[in-house]
Parts: sequence; structure tokens; C-alpha cells
Amino acid sequence: MTEAQTTPVLSTSQPEDFFQLLKPRVMSLVVFTAATGLVVAPGSMNPFVAAIAILCIAVGAGAAGALNMALEGETDALMRRTRGRPVAAGRVRKNDAMAFGVVLSLFSVMLLGMNTNWLAAGLLALTIVYYAGFYTLLLKRRTPQNIVIGGAAGAFPPVIGWAAATGQAPWQAWLLFLIIFLWTPPHSWALALYSAGDYAKAGIPMMPVAKGARSTRLQILIYTLIFVPVAIAPAFTGMAGLIYGVVSVVGGLAFLGLALRLFRSRAGDEPDKAEAVGREAALYDVRAQAKPARDLFAFSILYLMALFSALLVEALSGLGV
Amino acid sequence: MIILSPEEVRARKRRNLWIALGLVAFIVLVFTTTVLRLQQNQADERALLESQANGAARVVK
Repeated sequence: MTEAQTTPVLSTSQPEDFFQLLKPRVMSLVVFTAATGLVVAPGSMNPFVAAIAILCIAVGAGAAGALNMALEGETDALMRRTRGRPVAAGRVRKNDAMAFGVVLSLFSVMLLGMNTNWLAAGLLALTIVYYAGFYTLLLKRRTPQNIVIGGAAGAFPPVIGWAAATGQAPWQAWLLFLIIFLWTPPHSWALALYSAGDYAKAGIPMMPVAKGARSTRLQILIYTLIFVPVAIAPAFTGMAGLIYGVVSVVGGLAFLGLALRLFRSRAGDEPDKAEAVGREAALYDVRAQAKPARDLFAFSILYLMALFSALLVEALSGLGV
Repeated sequence: MIILSPEEVRARKRRNLWIALGLVAFIVLVFTTTVLRLQQNQADERALLESQANGAARVVK
């Protein structure tokens, strides 16, 4: 009886903790890109069917996040950015998070298949397995290219949206995939440049930890040089119109400028502020030297949102091609 | 005998409530999906029959 009073017999996890397991911020980006794929795809779709499809894709992505947190609780506890997550902080038990992720995965894939078609459901299932199984379990700790290959998981939502609307995944859908896929390395490595200490502590071979800051800055620049033309491509392939063309070119040049500035900087050359002064610091409390990395990280989010917003606006207003 | 703390009981109650709401939402979504798919299939079938009837009429002419 004494033991029952000191060690909780039942979990004291709250529903909010389970909601946090779904990585709501990542989920919002998934909803946005999936909705864009669904709206940009040719043909019309019943709005209720479309809404249920988006919900399924969002829950499926959230389920993958829950599985990721269940599998990485110990690693997350070592990093400033992730130590507050429900499993890492001990608010949700690992097995509970795992069960939550598995149940939501099954429900979301099944419902998406029933609601739209089994190509979309299969792609959603593939995304969940790719992220939670392939990326989290196999890739993340084995290679500094983890984020490059793993980035595919985050790039699937527009293809799933497109497949949900049409039952097909043509090259236009894969072009949207490619935009997010090539956007991921500069975005993630810019963040890693000013939080490399965290990754090193957790034993994750992110590029700045494994190859150093200089090599990372060069690779960011190389990926940006590949990414920007691909981001502009929809404007010249009959997939998007003038608004997208202007947004992608102007934003792409700004992206390239920031990547070049980062390459010339010394961002990531020295340990971050928290380590340097031996105290806890907020994640974005970066050295002035790391500012180019933080600026590129912030702008990359803005640019991706702008690209997909432009596609969405053109498709909804009929201004696209 | 296992004695649960008031905090554990409260947390369990809240979780159970949300599981119930989630299940109800899932049932509603499955029902809605079924109705929408039935409507869509009926519309497709009607369109198919009409196109077949039009084709037959053209052959007779």
C-alpha cells in the first residue's frame, strides 16, 4: 500500500500530453502541404471527402511523430530542443506513446483508404513506416546524410493529397515532393549549425557534428543551388502561374543570398552560447556569429510556406495555368 | 490491494473521456464516408447508364 502511494500504479498522463505527441507544429505544415497537393490536383472533390482526407493525413503524420517520440525518449531527454517532449519529460510512458502511435496509424490509413483510394492510403502508410521505422530506427544514428534521406518522409504529404484527389501520383505531384525533399537539408542543417552541441551530446551524427561547420555550410550552399531551380520549376512547366513565378524567383534569390552569406560566415565554428558560458540557454539564444544560420533557418520556413501558399491561391482563384 | 491516488483517478477519467470522444468521432467519420461513397457510386452508375442509353440511341438512329 505504501508502494502504491509512492510509485504511480496508473499513468498520470493528461490528454494534452498525448496531443503533444502528435507534434502539432509539424502536423500543421503537413496539413498545409497535403491540402495544397489536394487542391492543385486536377478535377473536383467533395469538400467533406477532402476534409476527411486531410484529417487522415494529419493524424497519420501525428502518429508517426508519436512513434518517433516513443522510440527516441532517451535521446530527446538529452537535448534542449526536445527535452520537454512528453516521453522525454516522463509525462507519458514509452509503451503508451507507442500504442497511441500504432492505433492512430491504423485508423488513419484505414479511413483514408475507405474515404478516397488505396494509393493515397498506401503512401500514408509508407510515410509512417519510413519516418518511424527507417529514419528514426535505422538512419538517424548511422549517417550524417540522415536528414537528406529522411527528408523524404516530410515530402510525401503533397503526393498523398494529390493521390487522394485523383487516385494517381503524376510527375507534378513528385515535383512538389522534390521541392520539400531538397528544401529539408539546408533548413535542417542551418538549425543544426547553431545547436550542434545538443546533437553531439545525444550522439546523433548530424552534419556539423560529423563533418564540421565548414563542410556543412558548403553543403547547405550546394543544396540551395539545386533546390532553388527546382522550386522555380513549377512556374515553367505549366503547373503554376505568374504569382508562383514571382514568389519563387524573388524568394529563391533571397534564399540563395542567405545561403551564400552563411557560407562566408563562421556560423557553427565555435560551440553555442550555452556551452560557452556553461549555463542553460534558450534554443534561439545564439551567438552573433551564428546569426546567418538562424536567419536562413527562419527564412527557409517562410519561403516554403510562400511557395505552397502561392500554389494554393492560384488554384483556388483560378489564376494558375 | 491497489489504491489509486486522486491524481491518477482524475487523469484516468480525463483520458477515458477523450478516448470515448475519439471513438465517437471515428464512428461518425466512417458513417459519413460510407454515405458519401454510396452517393458517389450511385452518381457514377447513373452517368454510366445514361451514356450507355445515349450510345444505344445513336446506334438505332
